Amino acid sequence: MKIENTKAQMRKGVLEFCILSVLKDNDAYVAEILDTLKDAKLLVVEGTIYPLLTRLKNAGLLNYRWEESTSGPPRKYYGLTETGKLFLKELNTTWSELHNAVTIVTSQKTSK
Amino acid sequence: MNKTVNINLAGIFFHIDEDAYLKLQRYLEAIKRSFTDSQGRSEIIADIEARIAELFNERVENDKQVIRIKEVDEVISIMGQPEDYLVDDEIFEDEPKTSYKAKSSPSRKLFRDTDNSYIGGVSSGLAHYFGIDTIWVRLAWILLIFGAGTGILLYILLWVLVPEAKTTAEKIMMTGEPVNISNIEKKIRDGFDSVTDVAKNVGDSVGAAAKNVSDSVSNAAKNVDLKKPANSIKSSSKTFFDTLGDVIMFFFKVFAKFIGVLLMIIGASTLIALIIALFSIGVADIIHIPGLDMVDIVNAGNTPVWLVSLLTFFAVGIPFFFLFYLGLKILINNLKSIGNIAKFTLLGVWLISIIGLVVVGVRQASEHAYDESVIEKNELNIKANDTLSVKMMTNDLFETSGFRNDDSFRISRNENGEKTIYSSDIRIIVRSTSDSIGKLVIDKNADGRSYEAAIERAKNINYNYVISDNEILLDSYLNTDPKNKFSDQEVVAFLYLPEGTIVNFSNNTRSYLHYRRYNNTIVTSKDVNQYLKILDEDIECLDCPIEEEFEVDVDIKHEDGSLKINDKGLEVKIDSSSLRIDKNGINGSSENLNLKVSEEGVTIKSEDN
Repeated sequence: MKIENTKAQMRKGVLEFCILSVLKDNDAYVAEILDTLKDAKLLVVEGTIYPLLTRLKNAGLLNYRWEESTSGPPRKYYGLTETGKLFLKELNTTWSELHNAVTIVTSQKTSK
Repeated sequence: MNKTVNINLAGIFFHIDEDAYLKLQRYLEAIKRSFTDSQGRSEIIADIEARIAELFNERVENDKQVIRIKEVDEVISIMGQPEDYLVDDEIFEDEPKTSYKAKSSPSRKLFRDTDNSYIGGVSSGLAHYFGIDTIWVRLAWILLIFGAGTGILLYILLWVLVPEAKTTAEKIMMTGEPVNISNIEKKIRDGFDSVTDVAKNVGDSVGAAAKNVSDSVSNAAKNVDLKKPANSIKSSSKTFFDTLGDVIMFFFKVFAKFIGVLLMIIGASTLIALIIALFSIGVADIIHIPGLDMVDIVNAGNTPVWLVSLLTFFAVGIPFFFLFYLGLKILINNLKSIGNIAKFTLLGVWLISIIGLVVVGVRQASEHAYDESVIEKNELNIKANDTLSVKMMTNDLFETSGFRNDDSFRISRNENGEKTIYSSDIRIIVRSTSDSIGKLVIDKNADGRSYEAAIERAKNINYNYVISDNEILLDSYLNTDPKNKFSDQEVVAFLYLPEGTIVNFSNNTRSYLHYRRYNNTIVTSKDVNQYLKILDEDIECLDCPIEEEFEVDVDIKHEDGSLKINDKGLEVKIDSSSLRIDKNGINGSSENLNLKVSEEGVTIKSEDN
């Protein structure tokens, strides 16, 4: 068992949740989403995000529109659909529960 | 100095160094391979290309700037290795299962490994598939070839049906390694090494000229780029031997295809020998093998035998072929398909055959729809107390052996040398009549599709008999022309005899008479060879031996008593008690009691009274 794999799996697990959260208030195109995630050190390489975005879009949680760019190719602006918003709400709840649970468990361990 | 290439990435134009271009191309190829179509591969790739174009755009200050391998490496490090694109499906279970299998647990596929082949690469392909050394597979082939040559057939079959590993990805799949960029690169590098080896060998044998090539190869191999030297080596080391190899391989392929066609016929036929047997009947019919007349005679529906055989062949053979094909398909998972057209054609032929067989069956059955008979009446000049004898006549031309045989029919030639059907389905029924003279009624019976046909066939039955003053001679067989087919022809001879006549059935009529008194016959198989007097619906045997007398003789003696049973009577004795039954009556006595029953009356004596 490699520590990198476990780390990557942990990150990938919350990645969908984070992508949806980034798009919570306003639409964004891939580079913007990437910047946010990279700043948060959640993403090391960009490649991971593309299959995830496509999957979320195919699941009906995201939609996108094309916008011309002054520098470079046209950009895909992603936004949340109604389903996506509900989905995000659910995930938020789950996340806080999970966060609580993990905090309790890990703090117990350290206090021992 | 470096050559550049113009590329269009997401609608944006870029100048790019050739080596950088090749690297980028391989990178995109590898990413493409890590997705399946169900994941939205083309869309993902388009997004990635767009992002790469954006990243390049950031790095290009003006239109004249060229993208070098440095920029490509930067972009790749930002985007991540192809492995990073893989989404872990254990977390996302809504993914289709197939993609999971294809990526994280690559299963081996059976291909022919033409890189390590003696003939068609089947052995090395199988060795890869089972993860064993090729030598064992080859030894197994040799053993199988000695095993009645099945090895050869099987080899050719696999050669035709198993696809060759052509692309690098297929070659990797063959060995069961996961298909990713690292493996593909490794494989290509291996390819170089072997090509370099070949080039070196050529260099040794041919001389300095080739050595230059190998030098350039080793120089090129030092470069990071892998594809370019490969091409140059391939073109420069295309030697006489390679060409010869190509020619041989071409002939092998043509040969394989030719064998393949043959094989489909041979393979199917050997697997289903039963079907071939059926088919051979059809062939035998076409070339008129004697003995098949029999089949023709039974075949009242007049359907050609070859047609029936062919229909049966298809009706039974096609499902078997599909079974055979299915078996192969299960055995080899990437077996070439026989194509939908072929499948549906076979299915169609099969359905037609089934329908055809049903039609033939109905036709055959309808031949027996009507069962009609023709009657011939003959008066017998016989009166009460006359004696009549009945005998069967046999004919040397027909092997009837003088015994009746239900539904048996044979083909023979009659006196004129013509073919004729004969049968021994003759029955004799004897009945009594109160008329003064007797009758012999011959009832000829046959089946047919219609009333007329049945009557016509019944009329066409030849049956001979001779009636003289005190003798009836009946043929033990009937015969008819083969064109009448075998349609249950039978003859029943009804013999009506006046009461009081005496009849004697010869021993050879035994099997033509009923065994029991069935259908109102008064003479059965048991009554042959005896003089029988006809009574009203009965017979009296005149020379039957008188039934033997009751002959029981029991004489058991014991210390305390005895038991005797004989023609005189019965006697039981126990101690002083006894019981005797004889012509005088019943006589019983015990210690103090005496019982006597006789003509004189019943007397009971007791000592007490």
